[in-house]
Amino acid sequence: MIRVENLSYTYDGDETPVLKEISLEIPRGIHLGIIGPNGCGKTTLVRHLNGLLPTTRGDVRVEEMSTKDPSDLYRIRQLVGMVFQNPDNQIVGMTVREDVAFGPGNLKLPAEEIVHRVQEALARVGLASYGDKAPHALSNGEKQLVCMAGVLAMKPRYIILDEPTAYLDPSGRKRVLEVVQKLHARGITIVHITHHMDEIVGADRILVMDRGRIIMNERPAVVFSNVAMLKKVGLDVPEVTELMWRLERMGNPVRTDILTLDEACRELNAHLTHAKPQSHKG
Amino acid sequence: MVHLGQYIPRSSIIHGLDPRVKLAAAVVLSIVILKGDIFTQCWITAFLILLVPLSRLNLVHMRNAFRPVLFFLGLLFFLHLLFTEGTPIPPFPPWRVTLTYEGLHTGAFVIWQFLLLILSASILTMSTSPGELISGMERLLRPLRRLGVPSHDLAMMISMALRFVPTILDELEKIREAQTARGACFKTGPVLRRMTATASLLIPLVHSIMRRADALAMAMESRGYNRGMRTYLRELQMDRKDYAAMLIFACAMGLELIGRCVLNNGFG
Repeated sequence: MIRVENLSYTYDGDETPVLKEISLEIPRGIHLGIIGPNGCGKTTLVRHLNGLLPTTRGDVRVEEMSTKDPSDLYRIRQLVGMVFQNPDNQIVGMTVREDVAFGPGNLKLPAEEIVHRVQEALARVGLASYGDKAPHALSNGEKQLVCMAGVLAMKPRYIILDEPTAYLDPSGRKRVLEVVQKLHARGITIVHITHHMDEIVGADRILVMDRGRIIMNERPAVVFSNVAMLKKVGLDVPEVTELMWRLERMGNPVRTDILTLDEACRELNAHLTHAKPQSHKG
Repeated sequence: MVHLGQYIPRSSIIHGLDPRVKLAAAVVLSIVILKGDIFTQCWITAFLILLVPLSRLNLVHMRNAFRPVLFFLGLLFFLHLLFTEGTPIPPFPPWRVTLTYEGLHTGAFVIWQFLLLILSASILTMSTSPGELISGMERLLRPLRRLGVPSHDLAMMISMALRFVPTILDELEKIREAQTARGACFKTGPVLRRMTATASLLIPLVHSIMRRADALAMAMESRGYNRGMRTYLRELQMDRKDYAAMLIFACAMGLELIGRCVLNNGFG
Protein backbone atom coordinates (compact mmCIF):
# COMPACT_ATOMS: atom_id res chain seq x y z
CA MET A 1 0.00 0.00 0.00
CA ILE A 2 1.21 3.49 -0.84
CA ARG A 3 -0.25 6.14 1.41
CA VAL A 4 -0.13 9.85 0.61
CA GLU A 5 -1.16 12.25 3.36
CA ASN A 6 -1.73 16.00 2.99
CA LEU A 7 0.92 16.24 0.31
CA SER A 8 1.60 19.74 -1.00
CA TYR A 9 4.39 20.73 -3.33
CA THR A 10 5.66 23.96 -4.83
CA TYR A 11 8.45 23.98 -7.43
CA ASP A 12 11.40 26.25 -6.70
CA GLY A 13 10.70 29.75 -7.92
CA ASP A 14 6.95 29.18 -8.31
CA GLU A 15 4.40 30.93 -6.13
CA THR A 16 1.35 28.71 -6.47
CA PRO A 17 1.64 25.10 -5.31
CA VAL A 18 1.34 22.34 -7.94
CA LEU A 19 -0.12 19.94 -5.39
CA LYS A 20 -2.54 21.07 -2.73
CA GLU A 21 -3.12 18.89 0.31
CA ILE A 22 -3.41 15.60 -1.54
CA SER A 23 -4.41 12.50 0.38
CA LEU A 24 -4.62 9.16 -1.33
CA GLU A 25 -4.32 5.45 -0.71
CA ILE A 26 -3.09 3.05 -3.38
CA PRO A 27 -3.78 -0.52 -2.24
CA ARG A 28 -1.69 -3.44 -3.53
CA GLY A 29 -2.82 -5.06 -6.77
CA ILE A 30 -4.97 -2.19 -7.99
CA HIS A 31 -4.89 -0.69 -11.48
CA LEU A 32 -5.21 3.04 -10.92
CA GLY A 33 -5.64 5.45 -13.81
CA ILE A 34 -4.79 9.13 -13.37
CA ILE A 35 -6.23 11.73 -15.73
CA GLY A 36 -6.31 15.49 -15.69
CA PRO A 37 -5.55 18.47 -17.92
CA ASN A 38 -1.94 19.49 -18.57
CA GLY A 39 -0.29 21.09 -15.57
CA CYS A 40 -2.76 19.66 -13.07
CA GLY A 41 0.01 17.97 -11.07
CA LYS A 42 -0.28 14.33 -12.21
CA THR A 43 3.42 13.92 -12.92
CA THR A 44 4.41 15.86 -9.81
CA LEU A 45 2.23 13.57 -7.71
CA VAL A 46 3.65 10.31 -9.06
CA ARG A 47 7.23 11.56 -8.77
CA HIS A 48 6.63 11.69 -5.04
CA LEU A 49 5.65 8.05 -4.95
CA ASN A 50 9.23 6.79 -5.33
CA GLY A 51 10.94 9.79 -3.83
CA LEU A 52 12.16 11.34 -7.09
CA LEU A 53 10.82 14.60 -5.71
CA PRO A 54 11.52 15.26 -2.03
CA THR A 55 8.45 15.38 0.19
CA THR A 56 8.47 18.91 1.58
CA ARG A 57 4.98 19.12 3.07
CA GLY A 58 2.88 16.13 3.96
CA ASP A 59 3.89 12.51 3.96
CA VAL A 60 4.36 9.66 1.46
CA ARG A 61 4.67 6.12 2.79
CA VAL A 62 5.44 3.05 0.70
CA GLU A 63 4.67 -0.10 2.71
CA GLU A 64 5.26 1.91 5.89
CA MET A 65 8.60 3.28 4.65
CA SER A 66 8.79 7.04 4.40
CA THR A 67 10.22 8.64 1.25
CA LYS A 68 11.72 11.26 3.59
CA ASP A 69 14.12 8.72 5.00
CA PRO A 70 17.23 8.49 2.79
CA SER A 71 18.04 5.00 4.06
CA ASP A 72 14.63 3.71 2.85
CA LEU A 73 14.82 5.45 -0.50
CA TYR A 74 16.91 2.71 -2.05
CA ARG A 75 14.38 0.00 -1.13
CA ILE A 76 11.49 2.24 -2.23
CA ARG A 77 13.04 2.70 -5.68
CA GLN A 78 13.30 -1.07 -6.00
CA LEU A 79 9.63 -1.53 -4.99
CA VAL A 80 8.25 1.34 -7.05
CA GLY A 81 9.43 1.30 -10.66
CA MET A 82 8.73 4.13 -13.05
CA VAL A 83 8.39 4.27 -16.82
CA PHE A 84 8.55 7.73 -18.41
CA GLN A 85 7.21 9.27 -21.62
CA ASN A 86 10.22 9.26 -23.87
CA PRO A 87 11.87 5.84 -24.12
CA ASP A 88 15.05 7.34 -25.60
CA ASN A 89 15.70 9.27 -22.41
CA GLN A 90 15.55 6.22 -20.18
CA ILE A 91 17.79 3.72 -21.91
CA VAL A 92 21.38 3.83 -20.68
CA GLY A 93 22.86 0.58 -22.00
CA MET A 94 24.68 0.00 -25.28
CA THR A 95 22.69 -3.18 -25.79
CA VAL A 96 19.19 -4.16 -24.69
CA ARG A 97 20.59 -6.71 -22.25
CA GLU A 98 22.99 -4.25 -20.65
CA ASP A 99 20.20 -1.74 -20.25
CA VAL A 100 17.88 -4.17 -18.51
CA ALA A 101 20.82 -5.12 -16.28
CA PHE A 102 21.25 -1.52 -15.14
CA GLY A 103 18.67 -1.65 -12.34
CA PRO A 104 19.76 -5.03 -10.92
CA GLY A 105 23.37 -3.79 -11.13
CA ASN A 106 22.38 -0.81 -9.01
CA LEU A 107 20.88 -3.27 -6.52
CA LYS A 108 24.37 -4.85 -6.43
CA LEU A 109 23.04 -8.32 -7.28
CA PRO A 110 25.54 -11.04 -8.24
CA ALA A 111 26.16 -11.57 -11.98
CA GLU A 112 24.29 -14.92 -12.26
CA GLU A 113 21.21 -13.40 -10.65
CA ILE A 114 21.38 -10.42 -13.03
CA VAL A 115 21.63 -12.69 -16.07
CA HIS A 116 18.62 -14.67 -14.86
CA ARG A 117 16.51 -11.60 -14.12
CA VAL A 118 17.36 -9.92 -17.42
CA GLN A 119 16.30 -12.95 -19.42
CA GLU A 120 13.10 -13.32 -17.40
CA ALA A 121 12.19 -9.64 -17.73
CA LEU A 122 12.84 -9.62 -21.49
CA ALA A 123 10.70 -12.72 -21.92
CA ARG A 124 7.86 -11.12 -19.96
CA VAL A 125 7.69 -8.14 -22.31
CA GLY A 126 8.05 -10.37 -25.36
CA LEU A 127 11.59 -9.35 -26.33
CA ALA A 128 13.40 -12.54 -25.33
CA SER A 129 15.52 -12.60 -28.49
CA TYR A 130 16.41 -8.89 -28.41
CA GLY A 131 19.21 -9.07 -25.83
CA ASP A 132 22.11 -8.23 -28.15
CA LYS A 133 20.39 -5.52 -30.17
CA ALA A 134 21.44 -1.89 -29.92
CA PRO A 135 18.64 0.26 -28.47
CA HIS A 136 18.71 2.79 -31.30
CA ALA A 137 17.92 0.02 -33.79
CA LEU A 138 14.52 -0.59 -32.16
CA SER A 139 11.15 1.06 -32.77
CA ASN A 140 9.83 3.42 -30.10
CA GLY A 141 7.33 0.79 -28.96
CA GLU A 142 10.09 -1.78 -28.54
CA LYS A 143 12.25 0.77 -26.72
CA GLN A 144 9.43 1.41 -24.28
CA LEU A 145 9.12 -2.35 -23.74
CA VAL A 146 12.85 -2.43 -22.99
CA CYS A 147 12.26 0.28 -20.38
CA MET A 148 9.50 -1.80 -18.85
CA ALA A 149 11.79 -4.84 -18.78
CA GLY A 150 14.39 -2.66 -17.06
CA VAL A 151 11.88 -1.86 -14.34
CA LEU A 152 10.65 -5.47 -14.11
CA ALA A 153 14.18 -6.78 -13.58
CA MET A 154 14.18 -4.97 -10.24
CA LYS A 155 11.12 -7.04 -9.17
CA PRO A 156 8.90 -4.11 -8.24
CA ARG A 157 5.50 -4.33 -6.55
CA TYR A 158 4.33 -1.07 -8.07
CA ILE A 159 4.89 0.23 -11.57
CA ILE A 160 4.17 3.86 -12.33
CA LEU A 161 3.57 4.64 -15.98
CA ASP A 162 3.82 8.34 -16.79
CA GLU A 163 2.16 8.61 -20.21
CA PRO A 164 4.12 5.65 -21.56
CA THR A 165 2.36 5.70 -24.93
CA ALA A 166 2.78 9.40 -25.71
CA TYR A 167 5.63 8.81 -28.18
CA LEU A 168 4.35 5.56 -29.67
CA ASP A 169 2.57 4.64 -32.89
CA PRO A 170 -0.69 2.66 -32.62
CA SER A 171 0.96 -0.78 -32.86
CA GLY A 172 3.62 0.10 -30.28
CA ARG A 173 0.92 1.48 -28.03
CA LYS A 174 -1.06 -1.74 -28.31
CA ARG A 175 1.96 -3.87 -27.38
CA VAL A 176 2.80 -1.73 -24.37
CA LEU A 177 -0.80 -1.80 -23.12
CA GLU A 178 -0.95 -5.58 -23.51
CA VAL A 179 2.15 -5.92 -21.36
CA VAL A 180 0.63 -3.56 -18.77
CA GLN A 181 -2.46 -5.80 -18.63
CA LYS A 182 -0.32 -8.89 -18.23
CA LEU A 183 1.71 -7.40 -15.40
CA HIS A 184 -1.42 -6.28 -13.60
CA ALA A 185 -2.84 -9.77 -13.97
CA ARG A 186 0.31 -11.07 -12.28
CA GLY A 187 -0.41 -8.94 -9.25
CA ILE A 188 1.74 -5.87 -9.89
CA THR A 189 0.09 -2.62 -8.86
CA ILE A 190 -0.21 -0.23 -11.80
CA VAL A 191 -0.45 3.54 -11.57
CA HIS A 192 -1.10 4.79 -15.08
CA ILE A 193 -1.15 8.43 -16.15
CA THR A 194 -2.62 8.97 -19.60
CA HIS A 195 -4.40 11.33 -21.95
CA HIS A 196 -6.05 8.45 -23.81
CA MET A 197 -9.21 7.62 -21.88
CA ASP A 198 -9.66 4.30 -23.67
CA GLU A 199 -6.39 3.06 -22.13
CA ILE A 200 -7.86 3.08 -18.63
CA VAL A 201 -11.51 2.11 -19.07
CA GLY A 202 -10.47 -1.28 -17.69
CA ALA A 203 -8.79 0.23 -14.61
CA ASP A 204 -10.06 -0.48 -11.11
CA ARG A 205 -10.20 3.17 -10.17
CA ILE A 206 -9.62 6.49 -11.87
CA LEU A 207 -8.26 9.58 -10.22
CA VAL A 208 -9.28 12.87 -11.82
CA MET A 209 -6.99 15.76 -11.00
CA ASP A 210 -7.43 19.45 -11.62
CA ARG A 211 -5.26 22.34 -10.48
CA GLY A 212 -3.37 20.38 -7.87
CA ARG A 213 -6.34 18.62 -6.30
CA ILE A 214 -8.02 15.25 -6.67
CA ILE A 215 -11.54 16.06 -7.78
CA MET A 216 -12.67 12.49 -8.18
CA ASN A 217 -11.51 9.00 -7.20
CA GLU A 218 -14.03 6.47 -8.46
CA ARG A 219 -14.65 3.45 -10.66
CA PRO A 220 -14.29 4.21 -14.42
CA ALA A 221 -18.03 3.84 -15.06
CA VAL A 222 -18.82 6.48 -12.43
CA VAL A 223 -16.04 8.83 -13.58
CA PHE A 224 -16.88 8.70 -17.25
CA SER A 225 -20.63 8.99 -16.82
CA ASN A 226 -19.88 12.37 -15.27
CA VAL A 227 -19.39 13.79 -18.75
CA ALA A 228 -20.31 17.37 -17.88
CA MET A 229 -17.73 17.54 -15.11
CA LEU A 230 -14.97 16.03 -17.26
CA LYS A 231 -15.72 18.47 -20.06
CA LYS A 232 -15.58 21.35 -17.60
CA VAL A 233 -11.97 20.54 -16.64
CA GLY A 234 -11.10 20.06 -20.30
CA LEU A 235 -10.97 16.27 -20.52
CA ASP A 236 -12.41 13.92 -23.10
CA VAL A 237 -14.51 10.88 -22.38
CA PRO A 238 -14.39 7.66 -24.42
CA GLU A 239 -16.34 8.16 -27.64
CA VAL A 240 -18.98 5.52 -26.87
CA THR A 241 -19.61 7.08 -23.47
CA GLU A 242 -20.10 10.47 -25.08
CA LEU A 243 -22.47 8.95 -27.64
CA MET A 244 -24.65 7.47 -24.91
CA TRP A 245 -24.50 10.73 -22.97
CA ARG A 246 -25.69 12.71 -25.98
CA LEU A 247 -28.46 10.23 -26.73
CA GLU A 248 -29.61 10.50 -23.15
CA ARG A 249 -29.66 14.29 -23.36
CA MET A 250 -31.82 14.03 -26.49
CA GLY A 251 -34.41 12.35 -24.36
CA ASN A 252 -33.60 8.66 -24.83
CA PRO A 253 -33.68 6.68 -21.61
CA VAL A 254 -30.26 4.96 -22.15
CA ARG A 255 -27.62 4.19 -19.56
CA THR A 256 -24.68 6.65 -19.56
CA ASP A 257 -22.18 4.59 -17.55
CA ILE A 258 -21.07 2.69 -20.63
CA LEU A 259 -17.39 2.43 -21.51
CA THR A 260 -16.94 -0.12 -24.27
CA LEU A 261 -18.34 -0.68 -27.74
CA ASP A 262 -19.73 -4.09 -26.70
CA GLU A 263 -21.71 -2.65 -23.82
CA ALA A 264 -23.01 0.16 -26.02
CA CYS A 265 -24.15 -2.33 -28.68
CA ARG A 266 -26.03 -4.38 -26.13
CA GLU A 267 -27.70 -1.33 -24.59
CA LEU A 268 -28.72 0.17 -27.95
CA ASN A 269 -29.86 -3.18 -29.28
CA ALA A 270 -32.14 -3.60 -26.27
CA HIS A 271 -33.65 -0.19 -26.92
CA LEU A 272 -34.05 -0.66 -30.66
CA THR A 273 -35.76 -4.06 -30.39
CA HIS A 274 -37.94 -2.56 -27.72
CA ALA A 275 -38.80 0.35 -30.00
CA LYS A 276 -39.56 -1.73 -33.13
CA PRO A 277 -43.22 -2.68 -32.50
CA GLN A 278 -43.97 0.97 -31.75
CA SER A 279 -42.60 2.12 -35.12
CA HIS A 280 -44.76 -0.56 -36.86
CA LYS A 281 -47.86 0.78 -35.23
CA GLY A 282 -46.97 4.33 -36.20
CA MET B 1 22.31 3.19 -39.61
CA VAL B 2 25.26 4.35 -37.57
CA HIS B 3 28.07 1.92 -36.96
CA LEU B 4 29.55 2.17 -33.54
CA GLY B 5 33.18 1.38 -32.98
CA GLN B 6 35.06 -1.09 -35.08
CA TYR B 7 33.88 -4.27 -33.42
CA ILE B 8 33.48 -7.17 -35.84
CA PRO B 9 31.52 -9.99 -34.22
CA ARG B 10 33.21 -13.37 -34.84
CA SER B 11 33.82 -16.46 -32.82
CA SER B 12 37.59 -16.69 -32.70
CA ILE B 13 40.22 -17.49 -30.09
CA ILE B 14 41.11 -13.83 -29.85
CA HIS B 15 37.47 -12.73 -29.56
CA GLY B 16 37.03 -15.21 -26.72
CA LEU B 17 39.91 -13.91 -24.62
CA ASP B 18 39.27 -11.88 -21.50
CA PRO B 19 39.28 -8.18 -22.43
CA ARG B 20 41.72 -7.48 -19.62
CA VAL B 21 44.32 -9.77 -21.20
CA LYS B 22 43.88 -8.08 -24.57
CA LEU B 23 43.96 -4.57 -23.11
CA ALA B 24 47.08 -5.25 -21.06
CA ALA B 25 48.80 -6.90 -24.02
CA ALA B 26 47.95 -3.96 -26.28
CA VAL B 27 49.37 -1.49 -23.77
CA VAL B 28 52.60 -3.49 -23.31
CA LEU B 29 52.94 -3.96 -27.08
CA SER B 30 52.56 -0.22 -27.65
CA ILE B 31 55.38 0.52 -25.24
CA VAL B 32 57.61 -2.12 -26.82
CA ILE B 33 56.82 -0.83 -30.32
CA LEU B 34 57.70 2.74 -29.36
CA LYS B 35 60.91 1.73 -27.55
CA GLY B 36 62.00 -1.06 -29.87
CA ASP B 37 64.63 -1.32 -32.60
CA ILE B 38 64.44 -2.90 -36.03
CA PHE B 39 64.62 -6.50 -34.75
CA THR B 40 61.75 -5.87 -32.35
CA GLN B 41 59.71 -4.33 -35.16
CA CYS B 42 60.26 -7.39 -37.31
CA TRP B 43 59.07 -9.94 -34.82
CA ILE B 44 56.14 -7.79 -33.64
CA THR B 45 55.08 -7.40 -37.26
CA ALA B 46 55.14 -11.15 -37.68
CA PHE B 47 53.28 -11.60 -34.38
CA LEU B 48 50.51 -9.13 -35.27
CA ILE B 49 50.12 -10.50 -38.79
CA LEU B 50 49.67 -13.92 -37.22
CA LEU B 51 46.93 -12.51 -34.96
CA VAL B 52 44.85 -11.27 -37.91
CA PRO B 53 43.76 -14.72 -39.16
CA LEU B 54 43.60 -15.95 -35.55
CA SER B 55 40.93 -13.27 -34.94
CA ARG B 56 39.17 -14.35 -38.13
CA LEU B 57 39.70 -10.90 -39.60
CA ASN B 58 40.77 -10.29 -43.20
CA LEU B 59 42.68 -7.78 -45.30
CA VAL B 60 39.58 -5.72 -46.04
CA HIS B 61 39.09 -5.07 -42.32
CA MET B 62 42.73 -4.05 -42.01
CA ARG B 63 42.54 -1.76 -45.03
CA ASN B 64 39.52 -0.04 -43.46
CA ALA B 65 41.50 0.43 -40.27
CA PHE B 66 44.47 2.01 -42.03
CA ARG B 67 42.63 4.16 -44.54
CA PRO B 68 41.73 7.11 -42.28
CA VAL B 69 45.36 7.61 -41.18
CA LEU B 70 47.15 7.17 -44.53
CA PHE B 71 47.34 10.92 -45.18
CA PHE B 72 48.76 11.55 -41.74
CA LEU B 73 51.33 8.78 -42.17
CA GLY B 74 52.40 10.19 -45.55
CA LEU B 75 52.83 13.62 -44.03
CA LEU B 76 54.85 12.18 -41.18
CA PHE B 77 57.13 10.38 -43.64
CA PHE B 78 57.80 13.51 -45.70
CA LEU B 79 58.48 15.65 -42.66
CA HIS B 80 61.12 13.17 -41.51
CA LEU B 81 62.52 12.93 -45.02
CA LEU B 82 62.85 16.69 -45.35
CA PHE B 83 64.00 17.72 -41.91
CA THR B 84 66.51 15.05 -40.88
CA GLU B 85 70.16 16.02 -41.19
CA GLY B 86 72.77 13.60 -42.51
CA THR B 87 74.25 12.27 -45.70
CA PRO B 88 72.42 13.85 -48.64
CA ILE B 89 70.89 11.66 -51.30
CA PRO B 90 72.19 12.85 -54.72
CA PRO B 91 69.38 15.21 -55.80
CA PHE B 92 67.74 15.37 -59.16
CA PRO B 93 68.73 18.63 -60.84
CA PRO B 94 65.56 20.69 -60.35
CA TRP B 95 65.13 19.87 -56.63
CA ARG B 96 65.78 22.68 -54.16
CA VAL B 97 65.68 20.57 -51.01
CA THR B 98 68.20 18.06 -49.80
CA LEU B 99 66.94 14.65 -48.85
CA THR B 100 69.08 12.49 -46.60
CA TYR B 101 69.53 8.75 -46.21
CA GLU B 102 68.96 9.20 -42.48
CA GLY B 103 65.68 10.97 -43.20
CA LEU B 104 64.55 8.15 -45.45
CA HIS B 105 65.49 5.67 -42.76
CA THR B 106 63.80 7.42 -39.78
CA GLY B 107 60.74 8.28 -41.87
CA ALA B 108 60.26 4.67 -42.88
CA PHE B 109 60.91 3.46 -39.36
CA VAL B 110 58.43 5.91 -37.78
CA ILE B 111 55.59 5.01 -40.12
CA TRP B 112 56.34 1.36 -39.60
CA GLN B 113 55.97 1.99 -35.85
CA PHE B 114 52.69 3.79 -36.39
CA LEU B 115 51.34 1.07 -38.65
CA LEU B 116 52.12 -1.47 -35.95
CA LEU B 117 50.41 0.64 -33.27
CA ILE B 118 47.31 0.99 -35.44
CA LEU B 119 47.36 -2.69 -36.28
CA SER B 120 47.51 -3.77 -32.64
CA ALA B 121 44.83 -1.26 -31.60
CA SER B 122 42.60 -2.39 -34.47
CA ILE B 123 42.93 -6.06 -33.59
CA LEU B 124 41.96 -5.12 -30.02
CA THR B 125 38.90 -3.05 -30.94
CA MET B 126 37.78 -5.35 -33.75
CA SER B 127 37.89 -8.43 -31.56
CA THR B 128 36.43 -6.84 -28.40
CA SER B 129 32.95 -5.32 -28.17
CA PRO B 130 32.73 -1.80 -26.67
CA GLY B 131 30.91 -3.26 -23.68
CA GLU B 132 33.69 -5.77 -23.02
CA LEU B 133 36.34 -3.09 -23.49
CA ILE B 134 34.65 -0.86 -20.95
CA SER B 135 34.21 -3.62 -18.37
CA GLY B 136 37.84 -4.62 -18.95
CA MET B 137 39.01 -1.06 -18.38
CA GLU B 138 36.79 -0.73 -15.36
CA ARG B 139 38.16 -3.93 -13.89
CA LEU B 140 41.78 -2.95 -14.54
CA LEU B 141 41.22 0.48 -12.97
CA ARG B 142 39.45 -0.92 -9.90
CA PRO B 143 42.62 -1.15 -7.77
CA LEU B 144 43.10 2.57 -8.36
CA ARG B 145 39.86 3.35 -6.55
CA ARG B 146 41.81 3.66 -3.33
CA LEU B 147 43.59 6.60 -4.94
CA GLY B 148 40.26 8.20 -5.75
CA VAL B 149 39.83 7.01 -9.35
CA PRO B 150 36.05 6.48 -9.73
CA SER B 151 36.32 3.45 -12.01
CA HIS B 152 32.58 2.56 -11.92
CA ASP B 153 31.49 6.08 -12.74
CA LEU B 154 34.08 6.38 -15.52
CA ALA B 155 32.84 3.15 -17.08
CA MET B 156 29.23 4.34 -16.80
CA MET B 157 30.12 7.65 -18.43
CA ILE B 158 31.94 6.08 -21.35
CA SER B 159 29.25 3.52 -22.05
CA MET B 160 26.50 6.15 -21.90
CA ALA B 161 28.42 8.44 -24.21
CA LEU B 162 28.70 5.57 -26.72
CA ARG B 163 25.02 4.70 -26.27
CA PHE B 164 23.95 8.27 -27.09
CA VAL B 165 26.14 8.88 -30.16
CA PRO B 166 23.57 7.46 -32.63
CA THR B 167 20.64 9.09 -30.80
CA ILE B 168 22.28 12.50 -30.97
CA LEU B 169 23.27 12.05 -34.62
CA ASP B 170 19.61 11.27 -35.39
CA GLU B 171 18.60 14.36 -33.50
CA LEU B 172 21.06 16.48 -35.48
CA GLU B 173 19.66 15.10 -38.72
CA LYS B 174 16.12 15.94 -37.62
CA ILE B 175 17.06 19.52 -36.75
CA ARG B 176 18.86 19.86 -40.08
CA GLU B 177 15.83 18.61 -41.97
CA ALA B 178 13.51 20.87 -40.03
CA GLN B 179 15.64 23.89 -40.87
CA THR B 180 16.09 22.84 -44.51
CA ALA B 181 12.33 22.54 -44.80
CA ARG B 182 12.09 26.17 -43.75
CA GLY B 183 14.61 27.35 -46.31
CA ALA B 184 17.97 27.01 -44.54
CA CYS B 185 20.83 25.97 -46.77
CA PHE B 186 23.76 23.87 -45.59
CA LYS B 187 25.21 22.55 -48.82
CA THR B 188 25.58 25.53 -51.14
CA GLY B 189 26.52 29.20 -50.87
CA PRO B 190 29.58 30.99 -49.57
CA VAL B 191 31.70 29.18 -47.00
CA LEU B 192 31.04 31.76 -44.31
CA ARG B 193 27.29 31.47 -44.66
CA ARG B 194 27.47 27.69 -44.58
CA MET B 195 29.46 27.93 -41.37
CA THR B 196 26.93 30.22 -39.67
CA ALA B 197 24.13 27.96 -40.91
CA THR B 198 25.87 25.03 -39.23
CA ALA B 199 26.16 27.02 -36.02
CA SER B 200 22.39 27.45 -36.08
CA LEU B 201 22.14 23.67 -35.86
CA LEU B 202 24.25 23.51 -32.75
CA ILE B 203 22.15 25.70 -30.49
CA PRO B 204 18.97 23.62 -30.74
CA LEU B 205 21.09 20.47 -30.54
CA VAL B 206 22.79 21.53 -27.31
CA HIS B 207 19.44 22.59 -25.92
CA SER B 208 17.93 19.22 -26.67
CA ILE B 209 20.92 17.38 -25.21
CA MET B 210 20.52 19.33 -21.97
CA ARG B 211 16.86 18.42 -21.77
CA ARG B 212 17.68 14.80 -22.47
CA ALA B 213 20.36 14.78 -19.79
CA ASP B 214 17.83 16.07 -17.28
CA ALA B 215 15.24 13.40 -18.11
CA LEU B 216 17.92 10.72 -18.21
CA ALA B 217 19.25 11.67 -14.78
CA MET B 218 15.75 11.31 -13.39
CA ALA B 219 15.22 7.92 -15.06
CA MET B 220 18.57 6.67 -13.74
CA GLU B 221 17.81 7.85 -10.24
CA SER B 222 14.44 6.15 -10.33
CA ARG B 223 16.21 2.90 -11.26
CA GLY B 224 18.29 3.15 -8.13
CA TYR B 225 21.50 4.55 -9.59
CA ASN B 226 24.02 5.80 -7.11
CA ARG B 227 27.62 6.77 -7.58
CA GLY B 228 30.21 4.19 -6.70
CA MET B 229 30.01 0.44 -6.28
CA ARG B 230 27.64 -1.52 -8.49
CA THR B 231 27.58 -4.97 -10.04
CA TYR B 232 27.51 -6.02 -13.69
CA LEU B 233 25.76 -8.39 -16.02
CA ARG B 234 29.02 -10.21 -16.63
CA GLU B 235 31.68 -10.30 -14.02
CA LEU B 236 34.90 -10.96 -15.90
CA GLN B 237 36.42 -14.30 -15.16
CA MET B 238 39.84 -15.47 -16.32
CA ASP B 239 39.95 -19.07 -17.40
CA ARG B 240 42.62 -21.46 -18.67
CA LYS B 241 42.93 -20.01 -22.17
CA ASP B 242 43.32 -16.50 -20.74
CA TYR B 243 46.18 -17.62 -18.50
CA ALA B 244 47.73 -19.53 -21.42
CA ALA B 245 47.55 -16.44 -23.63
CA MET B 246 49.06 -14.34 -20.87
CA LEU B 247 51.88 -16.85 -20.39
CA ILE B 248 52.71 -16.96 -24.10
CA PHE B 249 52.70 -13.20 -24.31
CA ALA B 250 54.83 -12.83 -21.18
CA CYS B 251 57.36 -15.36 -22.57
CA ALA B 252 57.59 -13.43 -25.82
CA MET B 253 58.15 -10.20 -23.94
CA GLY B 254 60.73 -11.89 -21.72
CA LEU B 255 62.62 -13.14 -24.77
CA GLU B 256 62.51 -9.65 -26.21
CA LEU B 257 63.98 -8.23 -23.01
CA ILE B 258 66.73 -10.86 -22.81
CA GLY B 259 67.48 -10.51 -26.49
CA ARG B 260 67.93 -6.78 -26.10
CA CYS B 261 70.29 -7.16 -23.16
CA VAL B 262 72.40 -9.71 -25.01
CA LEU B 263 72.50 -7.59 -28.18
CA ASN B 264 73.35 -4.42 -26.28
CA ASN B 265 76.15 -6.18 -24.40
CA GLY B 266 77.40 -7.96 -27.48
CA PHE B 267 77.64 -4.85 -29.66
CA GLY B 268 77.91 -2.17 -27.00
